[in-house]
Amino acid sequence: MTVKKPSDFGAEVTAEQVMTQPGVTVTDMPSASEFETKLMRLNVGPQHPSTHGVLRVVVDLDGETVKRIVPQIGYLHTGFEKTMEHRTYQQGVTYSNRMDYLHGFGHDLAYVLSVEKLLDANVPVRAQQVRVILNELNRIASHLVFFGTGILDMGALTLFFYTMREREQILDLFEMVCGVRMNYGYFRVGGLSRDIPEGFTDAVRQFITGFPKMVDQYVGLFAKNDIFVNRTKGVGVLSRETALDYGLTGPSLRASGVGLDFRKAQPYSGYENYDFDVPTSDKGDVHARFMMRIEELAESLKIIEQALDALEPGPVKDPDRRISLPPRQELETSMEAVIFHFKLATEGFHPPRGEVYVPTESARGELGYYLVSDGGSMPYRVKVRVPSLINLQSLEPACIDGVFADMVANIASLDPVMGDVDK
Amino acid sequence: MSLVERLVDELKPLGGKPAEFKRMISVTIDSEHIVEAVKNAKTAGFEMISDIFGIDYLNYPQHQGKRFSVAYNLYSISANERIFIRVNINEGEVLPTITHLWNGASFMEREVYDMFGIEFDGHPDLRKLITPEDLDGHPHRKDFPIGETPTLFNEGRFIDPAAFRSGLTGQDAGLSGHQGGMRKGYRTDANEEA
Repeated sequence: MTVKKPSDFGAEVTAEQVMTQPGVTVTDMPSASEFETKLMRLNVGPQHPSTHGVLRVVVDLDGETVKRIVPQIGYLHTGFEKTMEHRTYQQGVTYSNRMDYLHGFGHDLAYVLSVEKLLDANVPVRAQQVRVILNELNRIASHLVFFGTGILDMGALTLFFYTMREREQILDLFEMVCGVRMNYGYFRVGGLSRDIPEGFTDAVRQFITGFPKMVDQYVGLFAKNDIFVNRTKGVGVLSRETALDYGLTGPSLRASGVGLDFRKAQPYSGYENYDFDVPTSDKGDVHARFMMRIEELAESLKIIEQALDALEPGPVKDPDRRISLPPRQELETSMEAVIFHFKLATEGFHPPRGEVYVPTESARGELGYYLVSDGGSMPYRVKVRVPSLINLQSLEPACIDGVFADMVANIASLDPVMGDVDK
Repeated sequence: MSLVERLVDELKPLGGKPAEFKRMISVTIDSEHIVEAVKNAKTAGFEMISDIFGIDYLNYPQHQGKRFSVAYNLYSISANERIFIRVNINEGEVLPTITHLWNGASFMEREVYDMFGIEFDGHPDLRKLITPEDLDGHPHRKDFPIGETPTLFNEGRFIDPAAFRSGLTGQDAGLSGHQGGMRKGYRTDANEEA
């Protein structure tokens, strides 16, 4: 067994190896020793606008053709898992949403679900519905960034402004709810930090009635654009078998013909109550991966609409005093409430020993927090199954033997968020 | 009989010890049988490897047995079931790779190597995945300190955060530049039997 240095990308390929590669026909060329031929090693990133943050890839090129591709990651490693092991369970929501900064509510939800499973918490229905609404809105916002930046990578600037316009509206909704536009920290173990403000549901309704028209606009801007179609159809094809082999999940896997969606397969937070479809495609190319997300926008809107209809006034926190803080008014009259408040604020709760994992569907794929509890007030081990990191491996089968310009389209179509990759 | 139950029975001759917690089923296997066990799971219908991760039980209260645990998180799409196959190993022991079963296991094994220093025999490209090349140690081990810890890089560069900050600001470094290990979780004895 050999352990290599991270900067060891393997030996550069010699002239003989290039000339004897399958597919290379040498006819009237001089012999390999006379004719200086070797693969060009090109470094892309980490600071490059088309690499979605700080992804660095080292590619070996034969002319324009990609022969080898090695993703090099870790530039955004923050040590969230280790930090969360040294904070109480409730403080964990401060960190979870910072990993995938485009779909923060998805991470928040995955984290609190795991802790709630450990605690057997009873989350009120209203809290679950609000979580679903926010999660789906965030999924839409995340896909909007995907379209904007993805098409931007292929050279079309305009769509970016349109998608950012609608994302802005969604971020305004989030600001209404929790005061921030990113890094929300709004979910709590056992419910929500506070109820949604007045006028929020109307604002969401207003947004979802206007939004389908905007989607039509996007489709008109890029989906029927000849340049886009020619650059993406048949490019970076991942077959069903390859996708499963490389552990691909999420919309990219559904574009390869596997209808796996954990909102349907293992419903959480009340997703079983909503009627929605899981769009799939059997093409498996970049075009299919883009279209899959367009179709998902409509499904998310359906879920939000149903959740809004079902929303009834009620509590938003688990009534169990060992999990949720007591209401503020009670602190003035009840000594017991003060004690619970003090215990929760200083050391938090103590889940029983055990290990749990709850898979959820983030905008990028399977997302789950594996938590190990030792009976203390802080998780003993936090392991996040981040979709972006595992999905990034599919870059290799998608890009090999394609042209270099298609690599950029492939990276965009897999939708990696580097915070999610590096943790 | 569900797929997981069938697989658990199948793994019993290999020394598989099943355990269940909150409807999550895991099977602990001896490290020499791990490839066979994972292969059995794949042929039984677990077509997707979801994750491979390590756990360091160094500080776990009343932990007996080996220090590390490596878990293989396998998912069957057709049966919609999940199983965790686990192996317990000590420091210095080497695990065989499963990258020949799933190419997707490559990053997962590299992450375990990076974070815990557990090496995988036969991995085609075993390199650190996330941490910088010149960082010594494996951050997810429980004896790796957290916080404002002076960091020694293996080229000899040494950074003490408090001194570093005081060099920038001109202020006194203060008494303590090291907070790692000061925060400890509270433990109650009430649920230790759980």
